[in-house]
Amino acid sequence: MAQLKINSRSYFVDAAPDTPLLWVLREDLRLTGTKFGCGRGHCGCCTVHINGEAMRSCQLRVGDVEGTLITTIEGLDSGTDHPIQKAWIDEQVAQCGYCQSGQIMQAASLLAEIPDPTDDDIVKHMKFNLCRCMTYYRIIKAIKSAAADIRKAKS
Amino acid sequence: MTVSVTNEPRGISRRKFFISTIAGSAALVISVENPLAAGKQVVNLLDEGSPLMLPPNFAPSIWFTMESNGATTIHVLKAEIGQHIGTTFAQIVAEELELDWAAVRVDYPEMNATNQDRYGLQMTGGSYSTNEMFDRLARSAAVARGILIEIGADLLGSDIKDCKARKGKIIDTVLDAEITYSEILSETAISHTVEEDDLVSVSLKKRQNYEIIGKSLASLDSPEKVNGSARFGIDAYVPNMIYGKIIGPPVRMWATVKSIDDSKARGIDGYIKTIPVNLPKQMGYMVESAAVVVASSFPAAMRAAQLIKVDWVLPETPPVSSNDMKEHARKLQKDPNSGEKFVLKGDVEDAAKDSLTQISAEYHTEMVTHATLEPASAVAQQVDGDWHIYAGLQAGNVMRYFVSLLTGVAPEKVIFHPHHVGGGFGGKVEFEAPILAVLVAKTLGKPVKIIFTREDDMFMSHPRSPTLQNLTAYIGKNGTIKGLRHDVVSGWVGARFGEAFLINSVDKKGKIDAWSNNGADHWYDVPHQTVRAIQNDLVQNSFPIGAVRSVANNYTVFAVESFIDEIAHDTGKDPLEFRLQMLTAKGKNAGDSPDTLAHHTVPTFFGIPSADWKKWKFRPIYHKSPNIGGAKRLANVLHIAAGLSGYGSRNLPKDTALGIAISAAEERAMPTFCACVAEVTVNRTTGIPTINEIIIAMDVGLAINPDGIRSQIEGSVLWGLSNTLYEKMTANNGKLEPTNFDKYKWQTIEGLPKLRIEIVENGPYPSGVGEPATSVVPPAITNAIYNAVGARLRSIPISREEILKKI
Repeated sequence: MAQLKINSRSYFVDAAPDTPLLWVLREDLRLTGTKFGCGRGHCGCCTVHINGEAMRSCQLRVGDVEGTLITTIEGLDSGTDHPIQKAWIDEQVAQCGYCQSGQIMQAASLLAEIPDPTDDDIVKHMKFNLCRCMTYYRIIKAIKSAAADIRKAKS
Repeated sequence: MTVSVTNEPRGISRRKFFISTIAGSAALVISVENPLAAGKQVVNLLDEGSPLMLPPNFAPSIWFTMESNGATTIHVLKAEIGQHIGTTFAQIVAEELELDWAAVRVDYPEMNATNQDRYGLQMTGGSYSTNEMFDRLARSAAVARGILIEIGADLLGSDIKDCKARKGKIIDTVLDAEITYSEILSETAISHTVEEDDLVSVSLKKRQNYEIIGKSLASLDSPEKVNGSARFGIDAYVPNMIYGKIIGPPVRMWATVKSIDDSKARGIDGYIKTIPVNLPKQMGYMVESAAVVVASSFPAAMRAAQLIKVDWVLPETPPVSSNDMKEHARKLQKDPNSGEKFVLKGDVEDAAKDSLTQISAEYHTEMVTHATLEPASAVAQQVDGDWHIYAGLQAGNVMRYFVSLLTGVAPEKVIFHPHHVGGGFGGKVEFEAPILAVLVAKTLGKPVKIIFTREDDMFMSHPRSPTLQNLTAYIGKNGTIKGLRHDVVSGWVGARFGEAFLINSVDKKGKIDAWSNNGADHWYDVPHQTVRAIQNDLVQNSFPIGAVRSVANNYTVFAVESFIDEIAHDTGKDPLEFRLQMLTAKGKNAGDSPDTLAHHTVPTFFGIPSADWKKWKFRPIYHKSPNIGGAKRLANVLHIAAGLSGYGSRNLPKDTALGIAISAAEERAMPTFCACVAEVTVNRTTGIPTINEIIIAMDVGLAINPDGIRSQIEGSVLWGLSNTLYEKMTANNGKLEPTNFDKYKWQTIEGLPKLRIEIVENGPYPSGVGEPATSVVPPAITNAIYNAVGARLRSIPISREEILKKI
């Protein structure tokens, strides 16, 4: 059993404490935007934010994230208006779209850390998020344009 | 063509449509073809004595429906696998129907027996979708535009000759009056009957007047793919469903579950039962045996699976490893009597006698698997005798028949609910998950969701066959190729799906799987040519090999384009000039005439009654060949790519060179002409090649959405790069390995080459863009490596060790 705070809402789930957070999100709470890809932390499809940091939800036990602030793709922005989401649409990043929730959550944490990332920063931060459609060129472009938008909004 | 055609004999009636006011619509003649047309009277829950009237839609074709508010929904029967096919189809319809793009929607209808008859065979693969549907959609929309102009003119009191449709309105250009589609459809209810003749005779917009086709519009499925709301197969949910996790057999094929010991798992909270599945053993069934561990949650099923022991009966044949298949391939290739002729032109023996020298080379390619990030999954639910399947599949309609065959459920009782597909690449034409879900749900009487873990998905995958190819060229005077002999030894994808999938060999002596040999029938003019297609029976009997993005072209194009380069070097010619000299478009290499109608010979899958198949067979009348222009168009893109690369005119740094390659994938009847130049630098100390730049020139005939095409090319170029540098599935004692991404490596965001894409529109008709670039990248890279440091690589994936050895 676990008491969770996800996307600013409270949830109580009747799941064993060692259950991976991923499956609680997807099958118990039906927050299916977070995806299952490999179950071993190799692909990044299941990336969520725990207290603002990008983490793999397939590697986390639900009992261990009680008392944290969990953000999933559904909670990144209530109106699909996060600069990263907008850039993702402008650059037409998504093909099949399956990995993109994880890519976007990972990219959001990059920009929170480095507001003006270089290509190297982007590659270093994103290289464990796999995309089988291989939309990587556009991921790089979209992160840069989102970064520029965020900086512009702040200035 | 299945567009709203009546059963009335031809010639009696041209187009008829009936218009009435909304008030009188109860008396309407309703189109039977598109069920969304029907307006009807329904019960008013608040006052049963005063029924409510549901407004009718304007549904002139089965492919789209217009509501009275002016919104138009395009019905997409192809799977959304990342190619944004709905957006492409919507652009085609919106162009000819003169829609306001903001009022366009798409949906993905369910596939049941009625819709199957209505829409026919709708598979998503082979890069066919746009080519297959373009004319059908355009003509249906153009007929509908004509109807709206006629009614609009009537309502405006205008002369129809003065009226035109534009952006959701009918405009009288003389009176300067207009009426919107919404106004027309609010004031009138239109019913209609469209004759096939109308579709043939309707006049389409001129290409130079296109405003929506050719525009890089944002795909309609983008927003839902960035906020988590897109529904993929694995996201499917029905109330009270339980979960199944499979335990696969110790070898990929022919094992049987003997017994299951679940005593240790019984204490797991939520564990229900483990169901043994032993299906009839026939090639093509995808799965012969598995144990399905069922629990109230997927984590409980995973926990229980670790504690369950399954005893298997193994096949009597010894388990097979990669090397066994390679050795067997070589033995088959050496046997002059093996295989059947895929291409037979002139007499290669004559060429051999006349030749001055001959050149031979052998090429290998390893297995590559789909590794879609969404693993296989399905939900099966039985309601009132019908089986509802929720999944993301590339051929959900064919799935209905496979499920029927293997579960004993009648096909008309199987209903497929399409979902987005989290990566297809040919992997989602396989139906293990739905088949197992139905079997388990049937056994337990509850809805079941089967999810493959990554390990299950990789172990149960359908990789591209490993191949061996041997080519010999007979060289005449001036270094020209007199004759070309090409042996392709591979497993045959089509053979898995049944005899009907095979075509006659050219000499009619045997059967061939064209699907597994396409690309060997290249567009170079060679006087004498033989391609021998040799089925590797050891591959076939050991692993259920599948169609992986660009299918045979991945290996045939690698061999042909490497070999052409080798001949050029051996005969002292420039590889670019050498290719262009042979792209002269003679004979069948000229391509079809503009009047030729393409006819994709799609054979019947086993399990589908041939009567059904005939019923769905598309009338090919609207289906024009995309290969018009033939080898000339191939030469043209080669000129463009070479020109963009500065081929022959640039001073390149040390150990850096350009390599070129061309392809006409997916097949001769459906080619997309593509040329690639790769710039590569090789480190002589480490042997590591750095791919600096890839240039692609691709002639797509007609570009519906240029940015969407670029996106597909970007992805497929990186697939080709990934296949060249990293991807390798191996067979180890009957098992496929590796099974997760720590060991199965592929291209990441690191080390991307510069990429330049030139889209050429040199044909009358759109062709597929999702695959062709995949096949052309590997030989362009290996040819560049040879040009840079003299190391000729004849197998992919390449290795730095081999480069070091050969420098």
